[in-house]
Amino acid sequence: MQLNYDYIVVGSGASGAIAAKKLVDEGVNVAVLDIGLKDEYYHNLIPNDDFETIRKKDKQQYVYFLGKDYEGISWDSNRVGSQLTPPRNFLNKFADKLMPFGSETFHPLESLARGGLGGGWGLGCFTFSKPELEAVGLNEKEMLSAYQSVVSYIGVSGANDDATPYSLGDLKDIQNPPNIEENLKGIQQSYEKHKKNLNKKGVFVGRSGLALLTKDKPGRLATKYRDMGFWSDTNKSAYRSWITVDELSSKPNFSYHEKCMVLRFYEKDNSVKVVVKRTDTNELQVFSCKKLILAAGVLGTSRIAIRSFDYKKNKLPILSNPYSYVPCLQWRRLGKKIEQHKISFSQLTLYLDENRNNFDVGVASLFSYRSLLLFKLIKESPMNFADSRILMQFLQSSFTIAGIHHPERRSPNKFIQLEKDSNSFTGDVLKGSYELSEDELKTNSDRERKICQVLKKLGCFPLKTIPTPYGASIHYGGSMSFDDSGEFFTISKSGKLGGTKNVYVADSSGFGYLPAKGVTLTLMANAYRVAKKSLKNE
Amino acid sequence: MIADYNEEAKKITWYLISAPLQDEEALRYVEAMSLLKIELNHYESILFSNMLENKWRMASIDAALALKDPNNNVRRKLFVMLAILEASPNYTKYFLARDFSVFYYFRLISISFRSVIRAILGLIILYKIKKKCN
Ligand SMILES: Cc1cc2nc3c(=O)[nH]c(=O)nc-3n(C[C@H](O)[C@H](O)[C@H](O)COP(=O)(O)OP(=O)(O)OC[C@H]3O[C@@H](n4cnc5c(N)ncnc54)[C@H](O)[C@@H]3O)c2cc1C
Repeated sequence: MQLNYDYIVVGSGASGAIAAKKLVDEGVNVAVLDIGLKDEYYHNLIPNDDFETIRKKDKQQYVYFLGKDYEGISWDSNRVGSQLTPPRNFLNKFADKLMPFGSETFHPLESLARGGLGGGWGLGCFTFSKPELEAVGLNEKEMLSAYQSVVSYIGVSGANDDATPYSLGDLKDIQNPPNIEENLKGIQQSYEKHKKNLNKKGVFVGRSGLALLTKDKPGRLATKYRDMGFWSDTNKSAYRSWITVDELSSKPNFSYHEKCMVLRFYEKDNSVKVVVKRTDTNELQVFSCKKLILAAGVLGTSRIAIRSFDYKKNKLPILSNPYSYVPCLQWRRLGKKIEQHKISFSQLTLYLDENRNNFDVGVASLFSYRSLLLFKLIKESPMNFADSRILMQFLQSSFTIAGIHHPERRSPNKFIQLEKDSNSFTGDVLKGSYELSEDELKTNSDRERKICQVLKKLGCFPLKTIPTPYGASIHYGGSMSFDDSGEFFTISKSGKLGGTKNVYVADSSGFGYLPAKGVTLTLMANAYRVAKKSLKNE
Repeated sequence: MIADYNEEAKKITWYLISAPLQDEEALRYVEAMSLLKIELNHYESILFSNMLENKWRMASIDAALALKDPNNNVRRKLFVMLAILEASPNYTKYFLARDFSVFYYFRLISISFRSVIRAILGLIILYKIKKKCN
């Protein structure tokens, strides 16, 4: 097995895949080290058909809808990753065994999958505004060109409307938005009516930017509106990071090594040595490269950096957007059939920008509810199951779910800490604590209240606001900081890890502020930028 | 044991959707019970055998538990059956959204009313069973 490369990228998630792609395109020799779990079971079982037809016809549907061990009939009320269906469970399989995380107050979702969490993300794409990028620690000019390159590559659809400054900005090469479904169309029409007043209050509503094709791209087809987006990836209409890994695998200058848990790195004689523990044999291996790019997700990268710096500092800050969701009833849609052909993802997003400066904006992604199945909704109601079923079947078409994300900053009460533990696979365990101050809690609950008021105005009656545990937004950042001092756990403007000569960080570890907008397009653009800088030796 | 599961699956289905259970879904319930290993404690077992006596009892106890103890294991069994029914083409019509006529509102009002009565009755039954258990 070849152990020597020009570049090694750790991780194949959204950031690792994009960094590897840029490097391979530039002709250098690249290896990705990853654990690389895949769904080996479900993808062949799910018919290439729409949700309604499947529900009416496929006798085998119980296997993938409920899970082969009925694991999809979840009874606990843990709301972290509750969108992950049985065919997506591989995304965080073995994470608690191989990368244990212990905390009472912080509940992140981590992935060891080929393509990382990008194998199940909700496709929501946002660019950060100039003040947001400044607070994150990134340069606007560089990021705009990186955003453009990533968007043109992954394929993003969206509209030019009131919300464009908050979603895709001035990016070109954006495909038309997918057809909007009736449920969300009602809200859009209502917004058009009340827009003048709402805009005065800093409320803007528009089509969501989505990494979903509405026009074919080579090897990928436009969405067929099958409403199976939480279950399967037929036609590759949705961008998933593994698509990039598959695509790169046919290139001669690319290698993908699975079952490789990177423990640490050290630098020696102008090369970087990467120490790996194999997850199949438990053996240690040492890879070697000229440059190393860490893209193991914020928590994964923190673990590797802390070990590599000999636990000199084992406590780092962490950021994750607080997230609540609000089921609402839209009276116009009561007791109606849901259209057969639609998409599962958020098609409309509401922004609350009270200061009108595109900073500290509250974001509510609006979804209809169908393909995650009715029994999960029935469970949430305080009624007996039989009556609740009748009621929910009637209400189903009128449910709109608003997923509210809040912007987030660092504080001493939000941290992770790597502690040695000889019983664990990696010899340590990551712990963490996440607490919001009274002020932060109040700001967030005020923001939620205001968003609920707007939803009411738009004809959506909020039933209740359901907070999720910290970490459940699955957006992470902030463990290191962008700073050119060269100190340990800093990241230079070009992405180089402080205290090293040839190690770069491509994921969102350096993001010192997390806008409420989904972080993934930005972390992909940052990965592209870091790969480019590393090639130029900056 | 399998015969017991079969029997309870039929009764639960009749309670949930007022329709007979087909063999495939009954088998799935048996399989799910053996895989999920839902264990009932003494109190829950008494509750469950009470529920299996008739549909009204089942509805009432479920309604009371939904308010007082929604995560009770007894409800979990009903929930598993509900999910199995939903994920079968034989029962799609009980779950997929459809166009309802305006008269359906009357049905919903009567169901809401029934639901409250069920909950009240259920609370009384729960109280009695608890007293017996103590
Ligand atoms: C259900 C869901 C919906 C989401 N929706 C959205 C959305 O709409 N919009 C949005 O912006 N974001 C969304 N996200 C978040 C998004 O998925 C993540 O922000 C993004 O995928 C993170 O990418 P990453 O590359 O930083 O890390 P990850 O995806 O976590 O990838 C980490 C990679 O590193 C590998 N790895 C980790 N540790 C090691 C190690 N020690 N050695 C070797 N390999 C290692 C893993 O195997 C994995 O391949 C969603 C996430 C989920 C789960």
